[in-house]
Amino acid sequence: MEWMSWLSRLTPRGPGGRSSRNVASSSPCTADPETCLMVFENHWRQLSWVLEQQEPSGCSDDLTAVRNHTDQMLCLLAEERPGEVGEGPPGTLTSSTVPPVGPILGLVVTENVLERVVQWHLRRGLDPDSQGALLKLFEMLIGQSQQPLLQHKAVLQPLLGLLGACAEPQLGCPPSLENSLVLLLNQICVSMARAPAVLELLFRSAPVQHGPTNLLIFSLLVPFIHRDGAIGQQARDALLLVMATSASNQGVARYIAENSYFCPVLATGLSALYSSLPRKIEVRGDDWHALRREDWMGVSSLVLFMNSLEFCNAVIQVAHPLVRSQLVDYVHNGFLVPVMGPALHKSSVDEMIASTAYLDLFLRSVTETALLKTFLRFILMHRHDNDTILDTLLTRVSSNSRLCMVSLSLFRTLLSLNCEDLMLQLVLRYLLPCTHVMLSQRRAVRDTDLYGKSADKFLSLIPECCRLSVLPSAEREEEPAFWGKVLNSPSSESPVHPKPSTPSRLALFMRQQSTALPFTPSPTETVPSSPRGGPSTPLSPDSPMHPVPEGLDWESGYLEYLRDARRGVELCSWACRNWSAPYDGEDPSPNTAPLLPPPPTSNPSLAMFPEHFSFQQGGGEAVERLISELLDGAGPGEGGQQGPGEGGQQGPGDSNGQGISIEAFTQELRELEERVRERSRGVGDPDSEEPLPPSPLDSDLIGNGAGAGVEPKVVGSAVGLCSPARPLGQPSAQPYTGPFMVVLFAKLENMLQNSLYVNILLTGILCQLACYPQPLLRSFLLNTNMVFQPSVKSLIQVLGSVKNRIEVFAASHEDFPAMLRKAQRYLVARGKVDWADSSPMGVPTLRRSDSLVKSRKPSLGDLIMRHTNSPTRARHAAQLALAHVRDGGQSLHSALFRGGTGGGASGLEKQVEALRVKNAVYCAVIFSEFLKELAALAQEHAVSMPFLQKTRERGGGRQG
Amino acid sequence: WEIHLDLMLNCSLTRANGELLNFSSPARPSFGKKQLPSIPKNAVPVTKPASPAATAQLANGTHASYGPFYLEYSLLAEFTLVIKQKLPGIYVQPSYKSALMWFGVIFIRHGLYQDGVFKFTVYIPDNYPDGECPRVVFDIPVFHPLVDPVSGELDVRRAFTKWRRNHNHIWQVLMYARTVFYKINTMEPLNPEAAVLYDKDVQLFKSKVVDSVKLCNSHLFDQPKMDDPYAISFSSWNPAIHDEAKERMFTHKRRPEDHQKGLQVSGLSWVKPGSTQPFSKDDNPPQS
Repeated sequence: MEWMSWLSRLTPRGPGGRSSRNVASSSPCTADPETCLMVFENHWRQLSWVLEQQEPSGCSDDLTAVRNHTDQMLCLLAEERPGEVGEGPPGTLTSSTVPPVGPILGLVVTENVLERVVQWHLRRGLDPDSQGALLKLFEMLIGQSQQPLLQHKAVLQPLLGLLGACAEPQLGCPPSLENSLVLLLNQICVSMARAPAVLELLFRSAPVQHGPTNLLIFSLLVPFIHRDGAIGQQARDALLLVMATSASNQGVARYIAENSYFCPVLATGLSALYSSLPRKIEVRGDDWHALRREDWMGVSSLVLFMNSLEFCNAVIQVAHPLVRSQLVDYVHNGFLVPVMGPALHKSSVDEMIASTAYLDLFLRSVTETALLKTFLRFILMHRHDNDTILDTLLTRVSSNSRLCMVSLSLFRTLLSLNCEDLMLQLVLRYLLPCTHVMLSQRRAVRDTDLYGKSADKFLSLIPECCRLSVLPSAEREEEPAFWGKVLNSPSSESPVHPKPSTPSRLALFMRQQSTALPFTPSPTETVPSSPRGGPSTPLSPDSPMHPVPEGLDWESGYLEYLRDARRGVELCSWACRNWSAPYDGEDPSPNTAPLLPPPPTSNPSLAMFPEHFSFQQGGGEAVERLISELLDGAGPGEGGQQGPGEGGQQGPGDSNGQGISIEAFTQELRELEERVRERSRGVGDPDSEEPLPPSPLDSDLIGNGAGAGVEPKVVGSAVGLCSPARPLGQPSAQPYTGPFMVVLFAKLENMLQNSLYVNILLTGILCQLACYPQPLLRSFLLNTNMVFQPSVKSLIQVLGSVKNRIEVFAASHEDFPAMLRKAQRYLVARGKVDWADSSPMGVPTLRRSDSLVKSRKPSLGDLIMRHTNSPTRARHAAQLALAHVRDGGQSLHSALFRGGTGGGASGLEKQVEALRVKNAVYCAVIFSEFLKELAALAQEHAVSMPFLQKTRERGGGRQG
Repeated sequence: WEIHLDLMLNCSLTRANGELLNFSSPARPSFGKKQLPSIPKNAVPVTKPASPAATAQLANGTHASYGPFYLEYSLLAEFTLVIKQKLPGIYVQPSYKSALMWFGVIFIRHGLYQDGVFKFTVYIPDNYPDGECPRVVFDIPVFHPLVDPVSGELDVRRAFTKWRRNHNHIWQVLMYARTVFYKINTMEPLNPEAAVLYDKDVQLFKSKVVDSVKLCNSHLFDQPKMDDPYAISFSSWNPAIHDEAKERMFTHKRRPEDHQKGLQVSGLSWVKPGSTQPFSKDDNPPQS
């Protein structure tokens, strides 16, 4: 339970800490309760005399006296022990369940001591000093009391009176007292979590003038939700305790959902915080493509945002379903649609890069299914200017820049979710009709690569010029010291701290080389003993299992690919076990395939940067409008024009966030609260079935995501399942495998020109796709025997054309073998760095899905606690690692320059040519490895066992 | 008793399957399981090419080295198909030493051979899938028209005159080995005596079958014929060993090998069965 970690943060102030404190301090008092009572009564006599003065003089003597007496009395009250359970008259209900109150508490209750003290202060006019003192006193009392206090009206009422004063506009809570206030509220919530009955009391016994008390607690806590530092954390912890406590309390949950402004504030607060994020991400290396922890820990505005997102996630985890669904809706309508949507559609490339990277980061950070669903629904269904977010993101893959890499990275994250809805929209719906295969081939959709024919085909595409061994033997001997060091890290792997379990192919380079060296095998490679404890002989030589010819370095690498492929296929099919259908060409039936958007008729990249920035207005619902107004007031202005320029100057380390201040935001919140209150009054009886807030789910389904804000008319009226907004293009008879496949294949075909990092991301995504066990997708990518319709390009065709280009290139560069070797060595070095990435050093490098999956695992709280590393150190480490390779990337550059074009060329032309050569050489290396990955995947699919589908079994049971 | 045997065997086969799969994927660092050693420099190269296809590739000098993987994976794939077929009363397990040799046992549950428990071995030609059909040899020659009374070999070839890759699979051979005990065929017998008796004197045939079944079952607890760690061996029920194994079998839920706890969030689906619309499943909590 992740929220346990939230709760456990409170433990220093929780039961353990409290009791230990009291054991030490209370013993002298409890030794003689009667004396304590006498002392208390004595104080009370004197205090009540002061309190009863008709004219509260401004005299400071009175104040001092009251304070002194109150201090003494409350300490005595806090240390008093409850009476023994057995003391009461036997048989009565109260004595058997609740211990009787101690005599001091009894006196406090009968004399209404606290109420009178607080009232005296309030009448007198609460100066900040006294206010702070009272807050601290109550905090001490509630935090340290030996007996439950809050269920006594005589304690609760004055406490609420004091809190009420803090909520009053004219008095309020001075900034200097905020810490005390939040601490007190936190204590109240801790007590409440311990005694859930208090929750009920808090909500029932409301002082008239303040309306519902939970509103009071909320209105006091909520302004601190998004606050930085300890105070924000305490407020969030406190709110989370309320959420957890009220998770099973329908009444309270309804109250939170309908009468408090907790959810809108939380969700729209994300919008406010988002608006202060840097609009340009300062880019470090040409391989940067995603925000990692190291990247954002230094950006305070991003830390703030992530804290709040984490809190949302935690609330959704513990809260009542009513609150959960409301919060999820508000995140959708108050953050994703009005802010994230436009942000993703900004016109400047920098902003597109930043918003895409942010979205990727958010998706990787969210762990709660309900919240993930809302993000996915936003991406798949929400229409911004007639295009779904998904459409927009797809067009950017084809861009020729970092935007492409960031977008690929986002898709990598999306694919790692193994979400049926996403895969349906992205790929499967285009394959469902089976029009991409020849009619006679449809039955072959389910075939697996039983005899390795497809694998063989993939491997046969490895260009001849790339089939050289990694290092000529002469060069091997120069390396052992370095590689010896390298080897240590993987073999010292412990089960507790696994290294990146599936090393990227870069790490593979390293292992391939290492196995080529006469090293002692690492422990994991030792010969196994037979299961019956027999002689641990290696496989008999006549076994057909492993007749691997000597002298080829690549086999060990291929074994690793097989291993990775097995893991990939297995994890993916496990993750997909609850999908609604097998997608095998029969179920769902090809005839039930949904209507598809036609292939774009124009170049999508031309229309991809709409100049558009405005918050969507007029969702047709009061709350939504309120939020919009709030955001308009709070945001960086309608045009948002001052932002980009200044934001662009900001480095990630710049702590001074743009946009509104949180203080201004909380001001707005108070107004919002008022309006929500009015609105709910207008709605009247909360039991009336007025649906609030608007469910984005409904509007999306009705309009099929036609964009509530863009086309308000569409919202109410049910339109067809497919949006008419798109111009109708080619007839649907033309088989079309969908924009995702088209753009990936186009990018792949262009592999020779892509940068190394684009190619690594691109091939990684294709491998992710190839892990999916659904026969439709598997056959499309991996069955090289399938015959597709002439208009459908197959993966093998694309790969064939890349192969030819590489061979043409190699033939035209006589130093290609040398360059290839250098490129391989560089990548081996990168692989080493990649591997080291999992160590505490945290070197930023390219990572593949495995580390991504891992980065999703720990709770955000966990992550925050983790030691963070300075990027500088990381970069330094990377440089050190690379320095070992004498002919690393830099000298590859120089080598390529030497082999550049003729003497007449200008410097720039030379550079362009050098870049072209560099990309092509790297491409050759990546391409060969990619083919092995695909071959391994084809083989592993044939031997993988399906996992049982839970839902299908259940469905069958229901019918029977 | 048979059920117990079934369970036991099933259990051990489940494990064996895991190990077999593991076997082919050696680099995974797991404990107490079989792993392929790293490709040793001093490994004795196989003198005999695995298949003509591999030879051809060797001659080409292209991707020859991957040939072995194909054979191994083809057999693994065949084994996977066997498991997916869930053949009634048939259990097989590839041997430790060679993926081309599978140990099996068949339980006959009714008919003339009822209560028979016959151990057998499947031999797969090393040029699979381009060679002859696999051979099935019973440990003890069962009295049956199609089983050689001396060698114990079942006449499989009559059912698979030509082994066609992609069409013929080993599970079909196993299925055939089961069928012969339910549907007796006396044409061109390997055991003419049995064939003649069946046609002329069924009663005598029956009593001979009963004797044969008894003989086979009396040797059930013998040491396996083949000295192989994965050979199927029977032992009498020992609660200390078998109860726990049985329990594990019943509670076993297959999970990915390195399944992590956090992975639970994945595998998301909101598609209503029968629909092809995203988010068509209504899983919203009821609004109060």
